[in-house]
Amino acid sequence: MNGTRATAARRRKLVMKGLESAILLLALFLILFPIVWMALTAFKRPVDLFELTLLFTPTLDNFRTIFAAPWNIGAALWNSTVVAGLTVLISIPCSTLAAYAFSRFEMRFKGALFFTILATQFIPAVVVVLPFYLLFRDLGLLDTHLALVIVNLAIVTPFAVWMLKGFLDAVPTESEEAALVDGATRLRVILDIVVPMVWPGVLVTAVFCFILTWNEFLFALILTRDNAVTLPVGITRFRTERGDLWELIAAAGILISIPMFLLSSVIQRHFVRGMTGGAVK
Amino acid sequence: MQDRRLKYVLILPAALLVLGTTIWPLAVSLVTSFRDWRLTRSLTPGPFIGPEHYVTALTDDPDFANALQVTASFVAIDVALTVVCALGLALLLRRAGVLHSLTRAVLILPFAVSPALVGISFRFMFNAEMGVFTWLAGAVVPWLQGYVWLADPVAALLVLVFSDAWRWVPYMTLVVLGGLSALPKEPEEAARIDCASEWQVFRDVTLPALMPVLAVVAILKTVFALKMFDQVVTLTGGGPGQSTVTLAYLVYSIAFRWYDMGYASAVAWILTAMLVFLAVWYMKLILRKPGGA
Repeated sequence: MNGTRATAARRRKLVMKGLESAILLLALFLILFPIVWMALTAFKRPVDLFELTLLFTPTLDNFRTIFAAPWNIGAALWNSTVVAGLTVLISIPCSTLAAYAFSRFEMRFKGALFFTILATQFIPAVVVVLPFYLLFRDLGLLDTHLALVIVNLAIVTPFAVWMLKGFLDAVPTESEEAALVDGATRLRVILDIVVPMVWPGVLVTAVFCFILTWNEFLFALILTRDNAVTLPVGITRFRTERGDLWELIAAAGILISIPMFLLSSVIQRHFVRGMTGGAVK
Repeated sequence: MQDRRLKYVLILPAALLVLGTTIWPLAVSLVTSFRDWRLTRSLTPGPFIGPEHYVTALTDDPDFANALQVTASFVAIDVALTVVCALGLALLLRRAGVLHSLTRAVLILPFAVSPALVGISFRFMFNAEMGVFTWLAGAVVPWLQGYVWLADPVAALLVLVFSDAWRWVPYMTLVVLGGLSALPKEPEEAARIDCASEWQVFRDVTLPALMPVLAVVAILKTVFALKMFDQVVTLTGGGPGQSTVTLAYLVYSIAFRWYDMGYASAVAWILTAMLVFLAVWYMKLILRKPGGA
């Protein structure tokens, strides 16, 4: 009696274990397959494109093609780098100072101010872009890096303030206070003591904001035409009247994604915090 | 004390950035939403017409009604799918194992892919003639062989959900995993010693303790699903017909195809109102938590 029940329990456990492995294998497949398929497609010749086989003669032609005229994806790569880089360079110092004030001081309207800054990340980008489109059109700033940097600051700054406040809250204040007692000014303390201590957090935030800006699509779609087109809009150019050039889309897709894969693995542990603002540790 | 003024000086640059890049355009959009302004007729703002655009949108515009319904369906399916899958996957991944750590390691990848690129890749994989997912679906379920996914209104919406879930489920799994690791171990172990089944432990101990994290996941996902835009452009283009035109995409169409800035602003503000409502709810939820934020 006991023996059969034990075997039944063991068998059930074995079935559960098999089921668990099957689900995980399915999850792994679903997560990785689109990426792998894009990577494979990037090395295919157009004739192999519609073959579902894994065996084909790989070629680097697609990468050569997207960098050559008329596609010049190098220009979009440059635009993306400049826009994301400048956005981060402007946003991070401003956000660090604000996050420090929110973390260390009590002040009137602090709750309301902090709330306003955070709430802005819920605003749909499409409502922000309408007035900017009209303004930039009047100023002749459409299709420039400057226009994209300005609107991207709208997305990035709230995230940065929120993330940095989390990192600053975790930094102990003793050495700051000691320096203040010794007569150092608050600005000196921030530059010489606080920033070096919170530096890893600043880097993580910067990387997070860089990824957000790099992948941004809506602003770039509406505000650029030729000169300032970024990579996410650049890939849509491979959908031509003669059909979709999938092998080129895939090659450009690899170009967009590889740097982001590298960056996101570097900050993996903190990535979750970025979006949920420390609500979930 | 010098700090008294300094703290406001420190906040000033970031506050100006937010003011200039978000609050200002929001205000301008709000004002524009009460004006008659078509770029095809005039390059300068037209006269104020009161809440006419809002009345039109809410009572007399089949396109708006359609977009509202599409967005609602999309949000409902997307959020439910994301929460359930992320919770299930996180519960499995909590345990040790080779497959487990392998899966945990790749969870971050989809979120690093540009949503626009996700849309275009899924369009490729669901291509009628040679899409690999079209082929796979046909191989598993024979009557789906050669099915033209993106030509069917319901299937196209489901593919859109799939593409979005592909990007978000792994990310939200990481969020839930974070929540799980913060839970104390004792209550679960005590329940197991009391001979509760795994299902009872989950239902009566783990799930209630995890509720705050799941609420964060659900609200955040609702917010991002409501704003859904990138993949609509690159995956379905709003089609077939208007079956995948979300509210954000409708605003884009009104503004940059029909150049009706007044009406586009009004629709954008209806969407914004919904999101602000959710934002307030979300902030209350996370700022209430001691030590949160």
